[in-house]
Amino acid sequence: MPGRRISRLFVGLSAAIAVLGMAISAEAQEKKIKIGVIYDLTGPLAGGGSELQYTGAKIMLDHYAKTGVEGYNVEAVYADAQSKPDVAINEAVRLVEQEKVDMLLGFFSSAQCVPVAARVEQLKKFMWITTCISSAVLADKGFKYIFRPQASGDQFGLMTMDFIAQNSKEKFGKEPKDLRVAIIHEDGAYGVDVSKGNEAGAKKAGFNVVLKEGYSATAPDLSALVTKLKRGRPDVIFHTGYNPDITLLLRQAREQGLKFGALVGHGAGYGVYEKLKEGMGADVNYVFNTDPISIWLANQKSMDPKLPPMIKMVGEEFDKVKPGVAIRSAHVGMAASNTYVFMTEVLPRAIKKYGGVDPEALRKASLEVDLPEGGTMLGFGVKFHGEGQQMAGQNERSFPVVIQYVDDKSYVVWPKSQAQREAVLPLPKGTTFSSQ
Amino acid sequence: MQGFLEIFDIYLLEAVVNGILLGGVLALLALGLNLIFGVIDVTWICYAELVMIGMYGMYYLVQYYGLPYYAAAPLTILLVALLGAALHYIVIEPLLTAPPINQLLATGGVLFILQSFATVAFGIDFRNLGIRLPVLALGEMHFSYSRLLSFAAALVGMVSVYLFMTRTYTGTAIRAISQDRQIMSLMGVDTKRIYLVTSALGGALAGLAACLLVLQYDVHPFVGLSFGPITFLICVLGGLGNFVGGFIAAFIFAEIISLGGLFSDLEWGYVLAFAFFIVMMFIRPAGLFARRS
Repeated sequence: MPGRRISRLFVGLSAAIAVLGMAISAEAQEKKIKIGVIYDLTGPLAGGGSELQYTGAKIMLDHYAKTGVEGYNVEAVYADAQSKPDVAINEAVRLVEQEKVDMLLGFFSSAQCVPVAARVEQLKKFMWITTCISSAVLADKGFKYIFRPQASGDQFGLMTMDFIAQNSKEKFGKEPKDLRVAIIHEDGAYGVDVSKGNEAGAKKAGFNVVLKEGYSATAPDLSALVTKLKRGRPDVIFHTGYNPDITLLLRQAREQGLKFGALVGHGAGYGVYEKLKEGMGADVNYVFNTDPISIWLANQKSMDPKLPPMIKMVGEEFDKVKPGVAIRSAHVGMAASNTYVFMTEVLPRAIKKYGGVDPEALRKASLEVDLPEGGTMLGFGVKFHGEGQQMAGQNERSFPVVIQYVDDKSYVVWPKSQAQREAVLPLPKGTTFSSQ
Repeated sequence: MQGFLEIFDIYLLEAVVNGILLGGVLALLALGLNLIFGVIDVTWICYAELVMIGMYGMYYLVQYYGLPYYAAAPLTILLVALLGAALHYIVIEPLLTAPPINQLLATGGVLFILQSFATVAFGIDFRNLGIRLPVLALGEMHFSYSRLLSFAAALVGMVSVYLFMTRTYTGTAIRAISQDRQIMSLMGVDTKRIYLVTSALGGALAGLAACLLVLQYDVHPFVGLSFGPITFLICVLGGLGNFVGGFIAAFIFAEIISLGGLFSDLEWGYVLAFAFFIVMMFIRPAGLFARRS
């Protein structure tokens, strides 16, 4: 009898352990983070850089979908914002409420970011912004769950003004107060924000601002703006735009005989070299662009040693998706790098230290990220402004660089610490827009 | 006084001429839309999307098939003319007796179909024909040949349509139908054929616009959004169906945009143009050049 009891107990225990084991195993298998990814795959912003950002983020998400993170599977659910803020909001809410994603990642356009960030914060969900740069997304908002490793718009505007101010005397032979500058921008959140940085930088440098004006990115005609630029005779034009408004402006500028000493762009459309070249032809030579550095141009020697192989992987995967591209756009690396930071710094810490992937764990993990300069593929470090600060959620260590397109290659020309070559300033004689 | 006189500089003249040239582009777009509305009494909301398809046609014929521009242009005009006829045959004809709102919604549906079709078929990239026409320089003023060409085409197009409508049997039949749809069929005119011819003609004018716009703008699936609403407003301002009115309204609209943009922010040029439109709708609801009934 005792023997039968013991054997029954043994069988019972075995069965219980097996069931428990299976349950634990099933639970382990089900551990996953579901990420809602939103970029513009259709509409004007798609070709203006958003689709390239999507490609960069997808390369990284696909990579981690294969390996997982700390025992968690990574599943991405993609949505198309269609270049419309209302669609971006609806898709964000749909992903959160119907697809039950744990967090949102992506967003190209600042016009979308501003309302979406407010809505996501309201829903108490975590949002990791890879791209949009407008300061208005975070400034004075006091958000808890919105984080942006990317540099902010006013930093872009200030950086380019500083670049020209430091070169004014040497390259243009003029004191900054005598240098005539024009600030033109698309009138969305992105363009307005960068132009504010431009304006502040111009004031600081003491430039003579001959024109500051916004325009709609979908305007069918910009000839009146070109005429005003001709009347203002600027030495340097600071322009923030998407595409095809950049191409339209520069085509009409050529046709109307506008001359200047330098054209300085600020990301978005200026970051897609292939399209600039297609629209402007040889006139794209010597145009400046400001963006976080392309991961393929960043100084790999000063980087964390585990980053160069990732950069190589992103490049190889990108070449498979878009073979034969002359200059790999900075957009691709921007999204890839910022997604990588989340996958390697935030997610593992949230899982290991805070026990999961809920918004609170992700928020706490984000606030603890402390990467020094060289800690990301974009060269900058990561440390977020904490709660209670004016730009809570913004990476305080990010910075853009100024690059110049020369003979189908791009070179970092500013800041000096990152510069790969001396800037060609002003436009050489004989070029279409040269005022010399 | 000195300050006031300073605005009368060479740049003001340039803005005036640029306004006229922009007017040419808009007039060209309005011509076909007005023709369709005047005869068939249906507004093709998707008109600018037909232009977009034509621009893609030009792009592929020139860039991929290596045809010279002047050989590709007639083919594109033919393609969009066929598309216009097909649009009428498939979508408009079954709805001819339906309430106007149904017709509007149907052509609005075609707008989204064409945009989505272009996105799927051609991708979201901006495409550039890569043809750079020279520039006409008159002292400090510079004018684009592509715009001068559009202006000339709009002028020739309008005169041709006018002559066609007044000097040919088909044109006379088209005008007669536009005045009384029912009675003409009783008099033996094949209204179905006339509608089809008019739709093809409207499509051909969209094709002509496409051939000229592709020299000035990148083509992408949503390029119609930049022109569609403004073209529609011009047609209404000129009096829907009145193509001479539409032609003149295009220049008024373009000058307001150009000069408004020169003296204030560019955006204000558009605000002024739309404000002018609203005011005129109060004063002359049937359009600037509508005949008083």
